Formats: sequence, structure tokens, C-alpha cells
Amino acid sequence: MLTVENLRKSYQVGKTSYEVLKGVSLQVGKGEFVAVMGPSGSGKTTLLNCISCYIPADSGSIRLGKTELARLNGDALAEVRNKQLGFVFQDFLLLDGLTVRQNILLPAIIGGIVSDMTEQRADQLCEVFGIAAIRDKYPAEISGGEKQRTAVARALINHPLLILADEPTGNLDSKSTRAVIRSFEQAKSALEATIFMVTHDSYAASFCDRVVILRDGVVWRTLEKGNTERETFQDELLDAIREMGRSDN
Amino acid sequence: MRHFSEVYALMRRKNKQQYALLAGCCFFSVLLITAYVCMMRAPTILNVLPEGGDSRKQIMMIFALAVLGCAVFTTYASGLFFRQKSRETGVFLALGASRSQVRRELYRELGVISLGSCAAGAALGGPLAWGLWQVFRLCVVDTEEMRLVFNPAAYVWSLAFSAFVIVMMFLLGSRSVKRTNIIDIVQESHTSEPIRDVPRWYGPVGIGLLALGGFLGYMSSFFFIGILHWYPPEGLTGIFYLPALMGLYMILLHTVVNGWNGKKKLYKDLIATSQMRFQGRQTVRNMLVMTLLIAGAYFGSFYTPMLGTGSMIEYDTRPVDYVYNFRADQDIPLEEEVRALAEEYGVTVTDFAAVPMIRLAVDGDHHIEEEGPMGTTWRAEYEEVMSTELFLSASGYEALTGERVDLAPGELRGVVDVEGSKLGFAPDKSLVTNYLTGEQIPVTSLEPLRYDSLFGRYVMNDADFAALSAGLPEEWRETQVCFNVENCEETYDFAKALFNEIVDRSTLDVAQFSGWDPVIRDRYLAEEGVYFLDRENCAEYGFTVIDYAQRDSSAFRMSWQYMPAFRILDRMDFVKTMAVFLILFVFVAVVCFSAVFVIAYTRCMTIALTNRKVYDDLRHLGASDAWLRRSVRGQVKRVFLVPALAGTSLIYAFYVMIMYFNGSPAGITPSEAAGLLAALAVVAAVSALIYGVYRLTLARVCQALGLERSGRLPGGPALPK
Repeated sequence: MLTVENLRKSYQVGKTSYEVLKGVSLQVGKGEFVAVMGPSGSGKTTLLNCISCYIPADSGSIRLGKTELARLNGDALAEVRNKQLGFVFQDFLLLDGLTVRQNILLPAIIGGIVSDMTEQRADQLCEVFGIAAIRDKYPAEISGGEKQRTAVARALINHPLLILADEPTGNLDSKSTRAVIRSFEQAKSALEATIFMVTHDSYAASFCDRVVILRDGVVWRTLEKGNTERETFQDELLDAIREMGRSDN
Repeated sequence: MRHFSEVYALMRRKNKQQYALLAGCCFFSVLLITAYVCMMRAPTILNVLPEGGDSRKQIMMIFALAVLGCAVFTTYASGLFFRQKSRETGVFLALGASRSQVRRELYRELGVISLGSCAAGAALGGPLAWGLWQVFRLCVVDTEEMRLVFNPAAYVWSLAFSAFVIVMMFLLGSRSVKRTNIIDIVQESHTSEPIRDVPRWYGPVGIGLLALGGFLGYMSSFFFIGILHWYPPEGLTGIFYLPALMGLYMILLHTVVNGWNGKKKLYKDLIATSQMRFQGRQTVRNMLVMTLLIAGAYFGSFYTPMLGTGSMIEYDTRPVDYVYNFRADQDIPLEEEVRALAEEYGVTVTDFAAVPMIRLAVDGDHHIEEEGPMGTTWRAEYEEVMSTELFLSASGYEALTGERVDLAPGELRGVVDVEGSKLGFAPDKSLVTNYLTGEQIPVTSLEPLRYDSLFGRYVMNDADFAALSAGLPEEWRETQVCFNVENCEETYDFAKALFNEIVDRSTLDVAQFSGWDPVIRDRYLAEEGVYFLDRENCAEYGFTVIDYAQRDSSAFRMSWQYMPAFRILDRMDFVKTMAVFLILFVFVAVVCFSAVFVIAYTRCMTIALTNRKVYDDLRHLGASDAWLRRSVRGQVKRVFLVPALAGTSLIYAFYVMIMYFNGSPAGITPSEAAGLLAALAVVAAVSALIYGVYRLTLARVCQALGLERSGRLPGGPALPK
């Protein structure tokens, strides 16, 4: 589904160049729910931005399905963002002037593919994520959790190959966090969605099938959940992070 | 909702205030420019603003400033619009819209907004100018001269400005789509525009440069022309104002980056100062334009009080109620007829005096202009027969004024005004000539006499007067009449009737522009074959053609060689005479102040939008709404207060300097002082208006940041220590 190979990215600040990604390689299979964790400055957001086609990588490869993203021009990348990727942002990025249902339909409208079926799918997504009752409300009238569930539904409207989530629970309380994570699980189980999530939150990451931990721009460790209980997996994640902290010292 | 354009329509509905602000700004700027141009290019106005004259130059300069102001505020309003729209654009791009797709929708919107608002502004600009003019005619003065006729060519300017607005909006729109960084939107990050460290000496040095530039700019032409005898090319003297502009920029930089409070209040103003510092470049540019516009607006606003106060004082301090002179070949009413006319109007004439005057040639320095590699230079060449002046005998002067003047043969005294001003008049002469007979008398000029109503005349010994009168025909002889009336305030109808009588009975031979001089005429005819002040040449050379039918026009009353000076007529008709100037300058002030208000408002709203996240963070850190409002006030106040203070003091100091140096000798006369006081009253009124707009803007900014008022003033609570 998603293959990242030897990805490198550096930023120029004044005369100094900072290499943020120093050769990251990873794979995400179809239907997988993968999280990326790591301390600030480890490169996780840069990795997500490269995969999202927001910024170009310096070298390396990002393949989505059979498409090599690095070779695409601006319009083609926009097409990929619209048709093959779904996005969930920390700040939701819902448009205030549109209702919940209209926000969900937005990627389809941008792609020019709204049909009766699309509208039915929007309604279906509202049902799946428990926001049917508020579908005609505006973002200003709903809670943070409801906003993020709307954003998840929006990310799924175009049947994307991959959902990219950037700290989706970063602005939410614990109750809303649980609801959003549940919506990701529903997307995965009911809609066979593939999810790639960047997070600081070990609780949110503990629901994932696999967690990739970045440190200093490289993959430091990958933890597989397998059949481990969620709570145990969260403890493993916390242990790994503590270990990384000790080795830093 | 299935189409992208429908999403845009919904967003438009949601953000209709932003659209209204942008459309309103475009409409307003084109409306103001169109109205201004319609008025400025109207033959009605051009007739009273002589080609190449100072008034026309001032109006053009302020027009340029108004265009700049309108261009700036439209550009900033557009910038604000696109900044507000950037989140929406970023979301579209993040969700997979292509830039061309977004650009297409945006262009469609901009096309409607820009074309619609510009067309409306251009269409209504003319009617606005006409409407304002009619209101002015209705409320203040209505004369034939005030009939406003538009020149359709004015619309070329309007179209040009509209084209600028439309092109600018499309360019900014395109740039905004091109530059919208999805990362910025997704991560809510903003780029700042910090200014490098500004040393604290920028403030005081800036003030020094400002004063120096103002002084050098104003005095440079005196230096070039008076001392170097060189006419500098157009615009060169303007370069000397550049230190003032630099100084102003330094002052504003210092204000934005360092503030004037010193380190004592560093923590008190920390948030406001820091936030402004990080939007410094644009803020300082904004403030600079605002300062110049405020200065321009005041320049227009001061015209009326300065002129009005000065004129009223001049009318009131005239020693005689009624003064006029006429050429001896004219059949103009004298005592008997004047008394008869006065009787008809129930007016009692007192102190009537009519004495003969003669026109004699005087010596002086002739300025000869020469073209050379450096441009035009001039040299003074002494001429025994330079120009002509009007002479009274000592006994004639006594008859008119009651003041006895003892003059020995060969002694001469010029007459200056009661304040001793010699502006435009050189009382020191050494040779007087009867131009027709060639009879000459060397003279010694004594201390000038002071008598307002006879300013510019010369007084000589009776015997000299008689000797030089010999052989002069009627065209070279005049009669000077002075008289008073009882209850002068109630004699307007009589004054009007006498004025009409004088004009009606004057022949075309004396329909001369003031300054027409037979000696200078002969010289011009001999050297160049044409004299620019001859009636048939006036229009060609940009001077008013004296037309008796236009006797109530400002052009006539300000330019006729034989215009009577009747205290009550001048006072009552002041507004009528100066109407064209008054409304034009009032209009200029309205345009400039409007531009200032819109720029300040948009800048403050930009600050609010840019800093929204900072205020959220501060709130999370425990800052109260009152404390946050105080911080907002710190920024909004600076945007308003600094340009207002700088612009006001700049133009006021400049006005004082002009008043000081434009007299001869230099100094401020009582009438100028009164005018400056009246200008201060205007400053107070306008400052109150600026304060009102500031409060309104502050409220809107607080509202935009969710800092609703909770009964306490922004400055109310004590700051955390």
C-alpha cells in the first residue's frame, strides 16, 4: 500500500542545513493501522508532510500503491491528495461556513465526483461515526470530538487508499479521544481503511497494529501489537520511549 | 451542493462581512478618486486655479497623496481579504484541490467584486461630487461661478485607477493562491516579518532629521534662487525633503520596535511591543503612509481656518471702511454720487476723501533669465526705469489718513501694512521717473509708513508730486478714494450697489489683471513682441481674463487691478469669493482622512487576525480578558496615535515655519497667529474624530479576538507584576 524507502529531507535555516529525515524506510500494508511516535524534532511530522505531498523530499522514494509520488507534478499530486489520500488534522480544519454533511462531502465536491451515491455515502459515514444527528449543524455548534469524527468521515468520503492523521487527538479530552480512536477502528473494520497516524499519545497509539518510533530522523524501533492486550501494548510503548530517553542521556 | 462554485457561494455567504469590506474599500476608493478628479478637472475649478500656480500644485500634490492613500488602503484591504481567505484556500488545497481550480473560482469572485465595485464607484463618483457641490451651493453660497461643469476627460483618471484596483486585486489573489502554504494552514503556523534590531538613537535622530528635512526642503528654493541665482529643475527641491521622510521612517521604526517608554515599562508593554515588532515592516509602512495622509489632510483642513481667520482679521483691522481707486479717464462715482447712492440706502457717509495719484516709473533690479549648461540662471541688472508704482503727495496722504507726513524734496516713503509686512513690495527706491516726459528725480527712501488700506503706494513731497505730474495724460493719473460710513455692518446693500456701479462704469481699458504694468509691457513688447498680462493674452498664459460679467467670482475679485476694498462686502462675500477653494480643500481633507481611517482599521484587523493564536495562548496561560484587551489596546493605539501625532505635529510645525518665513521681515503676524490658533481648533475636532474611529476599531478588534467587554475598560485592571 505505502512504501517509503530511504527518505531524506533537510531544511535550510540561514546558512545552516538541518537534516530532519536521514533515510527513513517503512511500509504500511492494506488495512493496517500504523502509528508513528517519537520525541519532538524526530522527524515524524516532516515524514507525514512528505507522504501527504505537502513538501517534496530531497531523495528517496514514496510509493502509494503503484504510484511513485516524487515523480508527479502539482496537479497530479493534488489529484492524489484528493482521490487516494484522506486527511485528519489536529485542528480539524473544517470550514465554518459548511454544515457537517457539507464538510464531509467537500473532498468529493473538489474532485467533481458528487453523485447520489456520494451523498448516500456521506449519510452512511455520519451513521457509522455517530454524527447523523448533527449533520446539519455547523462546526461552531458541535464539540471537539464531533468535529474530529466529522473530519474522519470527510477523510473517507472518496474511498482513499490511505488515511493520514496528524495528531488527531492532540486537541481533545480523553472522552473525545476515545470516540475518535473508535472511529478509526470502525473505519478500519467496517470500511477496510488503511490508517497512518502521527501521535505523541501512547494511549491512541496503543490501538494501532504497529507503532514506528522515530529518533533523530531514522526509524529507531518498530513495535508490533500482534495479539497483545491494548494496555500491555501501551506499557511496551512507554517502556520503549523511556528506554530511548535513557539512551539519549 | 455538488459543485465547487457552490462551496464558494456558501463561504461567501458565511464571510459576507469580509467580502463587503473588500468591495466597500474598492468602491470607496474609486468613488473618492472619481469625485476628486471630477472636481479637480472641472473647468469651474481650473478657472480659479491658475496653470503653474501654487494652488494648483498643492491640489495636484494632495491628489497624488490621495491616490497613493486610496491605492494603499485598497491594497491592504485586499491583503486582509486574502489573509482571511488563506485558511479556506489552504483547506481546499490540503483536501486535493489544484491551485488552478482554486484560482479559477477566486478569479470569478474577484471579477464580480472588482468590476462591480469599481464600476459603481466610477459611476457614482461624478454624482457624489455634484451632490456635494450642490449641498455646498445650497447651504453656503450659490453664484453663477459655482455652477459645476464636468470635464468627461476626468473619467480617464477614474478608469486608470479602477484598472489599477482590478489588476492589483487579481495579482494579489493569484499570489495568495500561489503562496498559500498548506503546511502553514495545517499546522497553524505563520511567518513573521521581524525587523532587525533598531538602536535607540533612531528616535531622537529621526526627530532631528525630520526637522532638518522640513527646513532644508522649504528653504532650498530660497537658497537656489535667492543666493545661487539659479532656478533648480522641477523636483530638485523636493529631494531636500528626503531627510524628513527618512527621519519619519526612523521615528516610526523606533516607535514600533523600541517604543518610547524606555526600559522602565518594558514588561508593561511586552506583549504589544513584541507582537508589533514581528509585523514591523508592514506596520511601519502603513504608519508612514498614514502619517503622510494625515499631514496632507490637515494641509487641506488648515486652509479654510487660516485663510478665514487671517482675512477676517484683515477686514476688521482695516482703518477705512471703503477704499477704491480708478483711472482718471474712467467715469467712476465720486463724493456727490456716492453720497446720493448712500442716501438711497439710508447710509451716512463720513470722512470722504478723494485725492489724486500718479503712476510713475521707479528704478530697481531687473531679473534677467539666461539659459546655460546648468539650466536657467538669473542675474540682476539695475534699471533706472524698472516698473511703475502709484504715488500720492504728502498732503494727499494726509487727506486720506489724517496723518501728517513731512517730506523734504527728494524724500520718499513707501506704505506697508500696519504689521510692517513688506511682502511683495520693495519700498526702497532711489530714482523716480515720469515715463512719458522723461523727467527724473533722485529720491531717498525713508522708513515706510504703515497704513493697511494704502499698502503698496508711495508718498512724496508735494512739490515733487506736482513736478512729476506735469505732462501725464489721464491714463497715468488715478484717484484714490477713502471713506467711512456709520454702522458699517448694516451697509452691505449699499456696498454691493456701489461695487456694481464701479464695475458697470469701468471700461474694458481697465479690465486688467492685477500687476499689469505699462513699463513692463513696453519692455516685453520690445523684447518678445507680446505681453502676457494683456487681456487678449491672459488666457493663453494661464491668467484670469477679467470679465465684468463674472464680478462675483473669486477669480475676478482676487485678480482685478481696480477691485475696491469694501470692508462689509469683503467680509460678507468671503465664503462666496473663496467658495471654490474652500470646498476643494474640504474635499481633499475628506478623501485623505477617509483613507487614513480605512488603512488604520484594516491594519488593526490584520494585527488581530495574525495574533489570534497568541491571544489564545495567553488566555491559556491565565491572562484575563481585561489584561488581553489592554495588550490589544497597546497595539491599536500605536497604529492610530503615532501617525496622528507625527502627521499633526509635522504639518503644524511646517505651517508655522511657512508663516514665519513667508513674511518680510520674517515673523508671525497677529493674524497669522490667530489663523494658527484656528487651525489648532481644527486639530482638536479632527483628533476627536480620530479618537472615535480608534475606539470603534478597538471594539471591533476585541470582538474579532473574542475579547468581549465585561464592563471594564481595557486599561482598567492592574497588570500582573
